[in-house]
Amino acid sequence: MVAVAQARPRSRWRDLLEERRLLAAVLIGPAVLFILALVGGPLLLSIYLSLTDATGGTLRGHWVGLDNFTNAWADPNFRRALRNTILFTVVSQAVVLVCAGLIAHALTRPVRGRWILRFLILLPWAAPVPLSTIAWKWIYDSLFSVVNWTLVHDIFPGGHALYLYKVVNWLPFPFGDIQPFNPPQWLGDQTLALAAVISVHAWRIIPFAVVIFLAGLASIPTEVEDAAKIDGAVGFRKFWYVTLPLQLPIATVAVLFGVVFTATDMTVVYILTGGGPFNSSQMLTTWAYQTGINSGNLGEGAAVSLYLLPLLLVVAVLMLRFARKVEVS
Amino acid sequence: MIERREKLMSYLVLGPFAIVLAFPFYWMLWTSFKSDIDLYNVNDVPFKFGKGSPTLRNYAFLFHHTQYLTWVKNTVVVGAIVVLITLVLALPAGYALARLAGRWGQNLGVGIFLTYLVPPTLLFLPMSWVIAHIGLQDRLLSLIIVFPSFTVPFSTWLLMGFFKTIPAELEDAALVDGASRLRTLLYVIFPISVPGILTVVIFSFSLVLNDFVYALAFITTSNAKTISTGVSTVLIRGDVFFWQGLMAATLLPTIPLALLYNMFLNRFIAGFTGGAFR
Amino acid sequence: MSDDRPRVDITAAQDEVTRRELLRRAAAGAIVLVYGGFGVKSAVAGAPQFRGRELKGTLRILQWSHFVPVYDTWFDNQYTKRWGQANDTEIIVDHVNQADLPGRVAAEAAAGKGHDMVALLAPAPQYEDRVIDHKEIVQEVRRKRGKMADVCVRSAYNPKTKKWHGFPDSYAPDPINYRIDLWKQVGARPTSWDRVLKAAPKLRAMNHPVGIGMSNEIDSNMALMALMMCFGSFIQNSKARVTLNSKATREALKFGRDLFRKGESNEIFAWTAASNNQGMLAGRLSLALNAISIPRSAENTNADLARNIGLLPIPAGPHGRLGLEHVMHTYMIWKFASNKKMAVKFLAELELKYRGAFEASKFYNFPSFPASVRNVPVRLARDPHTPKGKYDVLKTISEKYTKNVGYPGYSNAAIGEIFDTFLIPQMFAEVAQGKRSPDDAARAYQRRINSIFAKWRRRGKI
Repeated sequence: MVAVAQARPRSRWRDLLEERRLLAAVLIGPAVLFILALVGGPLLLSIYLSLTDATGGTLRGHWVGLDNFTNAWADPNFRRALRNTILFTVVSQAVVLVCAGLIAHALTRPVRGRWILRFLILLPWAAPVPLSTIAWKWIYDSLFSVVNWTLVHDIFPGGHALYLYKVVNWLPFPFGDIQPFNPPQWLGDQTLALAAVISVHAWRIIPFAVVIFLAGLASIPTEVEDAAKIDGAVGFRKFWYVTLPLQLPIATVAVLFGVVFTATDMTVVYILTGGGPFNSSQMLTTWAYQTGINSGNLGEGAAVSLYLLPLLLVVAVLMLRFARKVEVS
Repeated sequence: MIERREKLMSYLVLGPFAIVLAFPFYWMLWTSFKSDIDLYNVNDVPFKFGKGSPTLRNYAFLFHHTQYLTWVKNTVVVGAIVVLITLVLALPAGYALARLAGRWGQNLGVGIFLTYLVPPTLLFLPMSWVIAHIGLQDRLLSLIIVFPSFTVPFSTWLLMGFFKTIPAELEDAALVDGASRLRTLLYVIFPISVPGILTVVIFSFSLVLNDFVYALAFITTSNAKTISTGVSTVLIRGDVFFWQGLMAATLLPTIPLALLYNMFLNRFIAGFTGGAFR
Repeated sequence: MSDDRPRVDITAAQDEVTRRELLRRAAAGAIVLVYGGFGVKSAVAGAPQFRGRELKGTLRILQWSHFVPVYDTWFDNQYTKRWGQANDTEIIVDHVNQADLPGRVAAEAAAGKGHDMVALLAPAPQYEDRVIDHKEIVQEVRRKRGKMADVCVRSAYNPKTKKWHGFPDSYAPDPINYRIDLWKQVGARPTSWDRVLKAAPKLRAMNHPVGIGMSNEIDSNMALMALMMCFGSFIQNSKARVTLNSKATREALKFGRDLFRKGESNEIFAWTAASNNQGMLAGRLSLALNAISIPRSAENTNADLARNIGLLPIPAGPHGRLGLEHVMHTYMIWKFASNKKMAVKFLAELELKYRGAFEASKFYNFPSFPASVRNVPVRLARDPHTPKGKYDVLKTISEKYTKNVGYPGYSNAAIGEIFDTFLIPQMFAEVAQGKRSPDDAARAYQRRINSIFAKWRRRGKI
C-alpha cells in the first residue's frame, strides 16, 4: 500500500507536465502558425526581393546580392530618411511622454467635467489616421492654414486686440519672426515640415499614452498611496518620489508602443507632405514606398524597408529588458 | 486647502491640453458646414459663417452621392470580425504563454510581439500576390484574413502580460477544488479577464481603423471599400479636394467612437493592470 | 490517499475530452467563417452583379476619379453599360484616387491578377514587360481616323523595344489660366515669359502673386519642364542622351529664380496639386499653369470669378512656345488580363467615337487621335460661359503647343522616374531659394539624371 501510494504522486506530476506542454502547444499553435504564414512568408519574399534588381511589375529579378543595401546607404535621401525616422520617433515620443504623464496624473483626480475633458482628450485617437491626417493637411495648408490664421488675426473678441504672432515673436525662440503677410509655410519649409509631421504623430498618440498611464496609476496599490499620504508626500513630491518610479515599467511599455506606431507608420508622412518638400521629410517607410512603387525599383524599396527592422528590433528588445528590470525592483 | 489647490492644478493642466487636442475637431466641425465661396476666401474667418454658409450640402453629398454608409458598414463589419479572430487566436495563446509555457514562454511571447514590428509597407506587395491567388482580391474577406497579422502579435503579447498579473493562486485554488483546466478557464479566469479582453478589442479595432495600405492594395470595388479608401477616392478628385466633405467624413465616425472609448475607459484601464484585486 | 486517484483520473479524462472539444469547435468555426465569407452575397463578395440580362463576358477597368464627377457618371453608368450590352460583356469600372493609383497598380502587377486594364495619368514604361503590345489598337484606330497626335505617340511608344506600352485615349492640354481683370490693371497680357516677369512685381504688390509652383507635385513638374523647353533647355535629346547641363538650362533656372524673387510668395514650395487651383479660386493668384480644372471649378462655385479667368497658350520664351500635356491618360492592358480581346475592342471603339467623352469631360479630355472628335472648334465655341469663346484657344494649344514629357525624345522609363521623383522642381527650388547657383544645379542634376538613365539603359529599356 505504501509503495503504491508513493508511485502515484510521481505519475501525477508527469501527467501534469505532459498536459501543460501539449495544452500550451495547442493553445499557442494557431496564433504562431497564423503569424508565420501571414508575416513570415511575405517577409521572406521581401528579403528575397531586396537581394534582386526586381522592378515594377514582377516579383522576380536578377540576383544582385547586397547591392541594394549598399546603394541605399550611399544615397543622401536614404540617409535623411533614416535620420528623420529616428528624429520623428524620438522627439514625438518625448513630447508624448511628458504630455501624457501630466494629463494622466491630472485625470486621476475626480474633478467636475472630467468626463468631458477625457472625451476631448480621446478624440485624436478615435479618429482614423488617414482621415485625420487629411484634415491636418488642410490645417497646415499653404494658403488657408487655420494655424496661420489664428496666429495672425486678432483673436480677442471686442476691445483690446490680441495677436498671437506678436506673443510668439516676443518669446525667445531661436526661429525667425513670424511675419503677418508671409506666414510660416508649415509643409513647405524644410524645418517646419519636420515639426508639422512630429506634431501630428504626437497629437494622435498622446491619448493612447494617457490611457496606458492611467492604467499604470490605477495599479499603484493603495498601501503605497496611504504610506505616501502619511509621509506627507503630496503633489509634486509625491509625483517625483512615488508615482514616477512606480510608473516606469508602464511608461516604458507606452513609449515602446508609441515608437513602433510612429516608426512603422507610412500614412502620416505620405498624406501630409508626401515626403516633401523635396524628400526632406521622408521616413524609411515612405522612402521605401517612393523607391519601390513610384519609381518602380522594387528591390531597392524592399532593401530600404528592411533597414527598419533591425533598428526596431534592437530598440524593442532593449526597452522590454529595461521594463522587466524596473518591474522586478 | 491642498485639495482645492490640487483641483486647480488639474484644471490648469487638463484645460489647455483638451483644447489643443480637440481643436482640430472643433475646426473640422465649422469647416464641414461651409460653402465653397466661404471656404476658398483668403479673408474667410474659420470660426464664422460667411456667404453661403452654413450649408448641409456637404453632409448630404456624403450620404446621398457616395457610398459612405456602405463604407462605414464595411469598416465596422471588418473590425468586428477581425477582433473576434484576434480574440480566438490571442486569448488562448496569451494564457498559455503566461501560465503553461514557463521560461521559453516569455521569450516566445516577446518573439511574437516582435513580428508586429514588420511594417505593412514591406509586406503588402507579396501579400497582394497571395490574396490574388486565393481569389480574394477586391473582397472584404481579404482584409479580414490579413488584418489579424498585426492585431494578433500585439494582442497575444498584451494578454500574456495581463494574465501574468492574475495571481496563479486563483487557478490553483480552483484546480485543487476539482475543476478541470478548461472549467477553470471558463468560470474563473474568463470573468476576471474581461478588462483584458476589452483592451484587446479596443486596440485591435483602432488598429483596423487606421489601416490604409492594405485596404488600398487589395480593394478597388467601391462598395467593398473601407472608410479611408472610399472617402479618398470620391472626395479627392485629381487636383480638387472636397475639404468640407472630407471633414464631415472624418467627424462622423470619430465622435461616437470617442464616446464609446470614454464610456468603457474605466474597465479598459483595469485591463492593463489585471484588476484581480480591485 | 484513496481520494487522490479518482480526482486525478477524472481531471485527466476531462481534459482529454475538453481539448478535443475545443479543437472540434475551432475547426467548425473556421469552416463556417471561410465558406460563409465566400458565399455571402454582400460587399464581402465583391461588386454587385448587373441587373437584368446575364452577360457572357466580363471586363474590369481601373481608373482615377475624374475631377469632373459628371464624366465618371457618364462613363460608368452610360457609356460602359451601353457598350457592354452591345458586346455581351459586363463592364466593371473601379476608381481609385489619382495619387494612390501607383500603389494599387504595383500591387496588381506583383500579384499577377487584378483588372483587365488600368489607366494612369502618365505613361508607365516601367510596366512595359507586364503589359501587352498595344499596337493592335493603334493600328485599328489609325486605319479609320488617321494619325495619332505626335505627343501621344512619343508618350506611349518605346522605339528601342518597338513596343506600345500603353494606349493613351486622351490627354489634357495645359493652358495659362490668368485673371483678365488684374492683368488689365497692369496693362499687359501673359503672352511671353518676359512680360510675365515684368508684370509679376506689380501683381504681387497688389497681393496677387504669380503662381508657378516649385513643389513636389504634378503641376510644378509640368510648369517648370515646359518653362525649360521655352528656353531651349531639354532633359534629353531625341536619341535619349542627357542634355540637361546647357546654357539654356542655366538661363531657365535664372529666370525661375527671378520670377520667384520678384513675383511669387514662398508658399509655392509647399504646394500640392490642389494649391494653385485653390489659390486662383480664392481670387489670390493672378496666373497659373494648369488644365481647365480651375475655370471649371470656378464656374461651379463663383460665377463672378469665373468670368475673369482667361486662357492662353503657354508664354513664349527665347526658344519659342513649347508646352506640355497636363495629363496623358494612358490605358494599359495587363498580359495576365483574362479578357484581352474585349479590352482591345473596347479601347479601339472608345477612341473611334470620342465625342461623348470629350463633351462629358467638359473638354478636359482631348482625343489622342484628333480626328476622333469632329468639329472641335464648333464644340468649344458652344460653351456657354463668359467671356464667350474662352475655350477656343484649347484647340490651338492642343495642336501646336503641346509636347510630351521628355520631348524631343520619348517618354521612357528614365524620364518617368525623373518625373515621379520631382527632380526638376527640386532643382528649381534649390536655385530659387539661393541654395545652389544655376551652374552648380545644372551640373549636379545632370549627374543625377545621368545615373538614372544609365540604370534604365542597363535594363535594356532605353
